[in-house]
Amino acid sequence: MNDPEIPAPAWKLDFPYEAAAEEEVTRREFARYLVGGAVVMAAGNVGLAAWTQLRSINTGEPRAIVALNDVAVGDTHLFRYPAEHDPAILVRLADQEVVAFSQKCTHLGCVVFYEADESRWHCPCHEGNFDTRTGAVLSGPPPRPLGRIDIEIRGDMIWALGAHA
Amino acid sequence: MRTSQQSRRATSALVVYVIILVAFQVFLLTVAVEAFQTDKESLAWATAAVSVALAAASVALLRYFRP
Repeated sequence: MNDPEIPAPAWKLDFPYEAAAEEEVTRREFARYLVGGAVVMAAGNVGLAAWTQLRSINTGEPRAIVALNDVAVGDTHLFRYPAEHDPAILVRLADQEVVAFSQKCTHLGCVVFYEADESRWHCPCHEGNFDTRTGAVLSGPPPRPLGRIDIEIRGDMIWALGAHA
Repeated sequence: MRTSQQSRRATSALVVYVIILVAFQVFLLTVAVEAFQTDKESLAWATAAVSVALAAASVALLRYFRP
């Protein structure tokens, strides 16, 4: 197949026959598409890296999460923080003690939940376990502690003050 | 002077090189998604840098295709 953008050479006008080597043009076009795909994937990679960086920069604005009376001692409450696509979870450990963490496991991003019986955060995907109060890794494959969210009780409300990676 | 068969072989070899580079980039894209999911910025940037280098290598290989 001839590329319409490339003018035919003079010899081809004089001797307009099809040669077996014509298929090389097809290979070149195929390679061009591949290289185009490679450039697009590189751009996607850079975009993903920038997005990852921007997400870690956003630590969130202080805001009220839930009324203290709506969470019984030992109960959890799900919310979104610092952004709407960031799942977070808090647990009321005592009357005036509340801790909150990002709900994303630091291994592969699965959702962790609170195991009251074992008093730990548990990731069911690969059996990762985290300390209730600190979020430190107790066992399993997670390489880092859970992302901590600073919590403060102001009057009757539980406030989130900021997130840490 | 290269024969037609040699040219075809050289072109095919170049296409194979480009395919290998693109396959590696697909792998890097999966690594970047994993880095994104687990908030690992350093891994994400390292992946992006390698991916850009591979794309540049692919573009450079295009020069060797006979017009």
